Amino acid sequence: MTERRFEGIGATPTVGIGTTTWYRPTDVTDLDEPPAAEDVDAAAERERFDEAQADARAELEAERESTRERVGDDEAAVFDAHLKFLEDPQIESGVQEALDDGLPAPHAVMEAFKGPIEQFEGMDGMMAERADDLRDIRDRLLRLLTGTERTDLGSLSDGSVVLAELLTPSDTAQLDPDSITGIATMEGGRTAHAAIIARSLGIPAVVGVGDELADIDDGEQVVVDGEDGVVIAEPSEETQRRAEESTQTPVVEESVSTADGTEIEVAANLGTPAEAEPAVDRGADGVGLFRTEFLFQDRSSAPDEDEQFNAYHEVCETFIEGVAGDDDPRIVVRTLDVGGDKPIDYLDLDPEENGFLGARGIRLSLEEHTDIFESQLRALLRVAATEAGSGLAVMFPLVSTVEELEAALEQVEKVADALDEEGVDYAIPELGVMVETPASTYLADAFAERVDFLSIGTNDLTQYIQSAQRDLDRMNDYQDPLAPAVVRAIDRTVTAGHAGGAWVGMCGEMAGDPELTELLVGLGLDELSMSAVTIPDVKTAIREVKADDAEELAASVLAAETLAEVRALL
Amino acid sequence: MERTLTVVPDDGLHARPAATFVETAGGYDAEVTVEAVDGNRPAVSADSMLGVTGLGVRGGDDVRLVAEGPDAEAALDALEVILSTPEDELDDMELP
Repeated sequence: MTERRFEGIGATPTVGIGTTTWYRPTDVTDLDEPPAAEDVDAAAERERFDEAQADARAELEAERESTRERVGDDEAAVFDAHLKFLEDPQIESGVQEALDDGLPAPHAVMEAFKGPIEQFEGMDGMMAERADDLRDIRDRLLRLLTGTERTDLGSLSDGSVVLAELLTPSDTAQLDPDSITGIATMEGGRTAHAAIIARSLGIPAVVGVGDELADIDDGEQVVVDGEDGVVIAEPSEETQRRAEESTQTPVVEESVSTADGTEIEVAANLGTPAEAEPAVDRGADGVGLFRTEFLFQDRSSAPDEDEQFNAYHEVCETFIEGVAGDDDPRIVVRTLDVGGDKPIDYLDLDPEENGFLGARGIRLSLEEHTDIFESQLRALLRVAATEAGSGLAVMFPLVSTVEELEAALEQVEKVADALDEEGVDYAIPELGVMVETPASTYLADAFAERVDFLSIGTNDLTQYIQSAQRDLDRMNDYQDPLAPAVVRAIDRTVTAGHAGGAWVGMCGEMAGDPELTELLVGLGLDELSMSAVTIPDVKTAIREVKADDAEELAASVLAAETLAEVRALL
Repeated sequence: MERTLTVVPDDGLHARPAATFVETAGGYDAEVTVEAVDGNRPAVSADSMLGVTGLGVRGGDDVRLVAEGPDAEAALDALEVILSTPEDELDDMELP
């Protein structure tokens, strides 16, 4: 099947892909024959017109405000013009004359707008577009007079491409840029209101395609290329791929700061060294969570120290080569974090004994598998001494007591002493605690005094705070990290961490949601670590955050007592 | 009294400057009419959006304002400011 291309005028320098929905507003101008003049109550019809005019004014004022908020003053100004046209003395007298002639209100409106519309249609360029404005106002009045339901553009499903003969200012005021991935219209030029609004909202748009656009059906997959001014139906795989690529948020390579200058580190979560390169490509400043389980799984015995050294070193090298900046990128490696749900044959873990509330994480490293912990620390301290390893950091999982943390730190000292004695190069990296148990949120201040950083693992933290097992579908409702108890636990961790002189990051899935970036910045997090794919979105979101607004948002979220209240604030 | 002015906003008296112009004209106790100096259309009332935009006046065109009534002079002063302010500065204007 070959592509069907529809040439028009590109109105936005962006490309979108989505499923078409034809916007077909009801034709309100198709009126029945008017009744005989003597059967029309002129006074009642006048009242009817006055009511419709008042309703139209209220709608226009509301649309002006919503456009001002969403887009800007310039784009909202068209509604001022519409308000003026609506109450124009010439229109008013035209309506009155037609009513006096015995026409009912809708017909009087048709009559009153007829002359002015024809006048503007006869003019050139920009003035001709005023005819569209007049038709829009007339149709608004007719819709209100005839009690016609408004065709809804505000609640389209995500990924919709809106096709229309023409989009009027009142249509475009309803457009939701979150769900609409493209607009294509038969009529209109670059300066048409719809084109201007689409540009401001960043919706890919092609206007002036002509009647051929009607060849595209509802529900077709199309690419709207606002750059080249073409709509492509039945796009080839290649065209689709290019469109999808260009719809992604551009990669931001440099580190980012909020609008008022607070730098926030945006790092990647990695499961294997192979993921390092793609993370660098997506603009990761460093690694906020390098899980080491991959080294231990799917094999019959634990990896030796050198194998581990190579894996950790490889990630550090990839980042030092790929990331620009004065400071060496920080690479946070988490020591082995296994339990009964992540079976490893040679460790002989029991689902019950080593379940979510059993011996797992640091507990295993300190009690049963000290040898593995020791070899892991040896490899890490050696990497820290290399040129590429200067940004290395080590994080302990599932710490819930100060005693555990002190035992782990003691182990680091012991390993350092042993390496020293052996004459092996080593360095003590930054050390930190992964905060993921309720206990650790209460002890965050004590931890912060003993280590360099805390990193909040929201997935497990949510499970433990909410007492709802992660892998049980029935517990899904409890798994939301926005639950007030979880947000409050995050807040107290950040505050206590900072008071103890530690930096505080987040490495759970929550950190990668750009919709939550403002909240997380407001809560005071210094670093956000996520799967690489969302890094460009979060970096872009950080740049838009204003500290005052973010803090205010965080304060109101912390005051909320139900999940619904929290959601309503975001 | 009357005044002849050159229109500064690039796009002339279209949507926004026109709306501001009409709004302002309506705020004074004066009958104001406006016409394009070298146009062939009759003068229109300054408080009619249809009339004002219908003149098809562009940036650089000359227009003649005629005002009568107690506030005639104040109305002309205010309208002169609008016609001589570039559109992008209109937002920040304190109209007299």
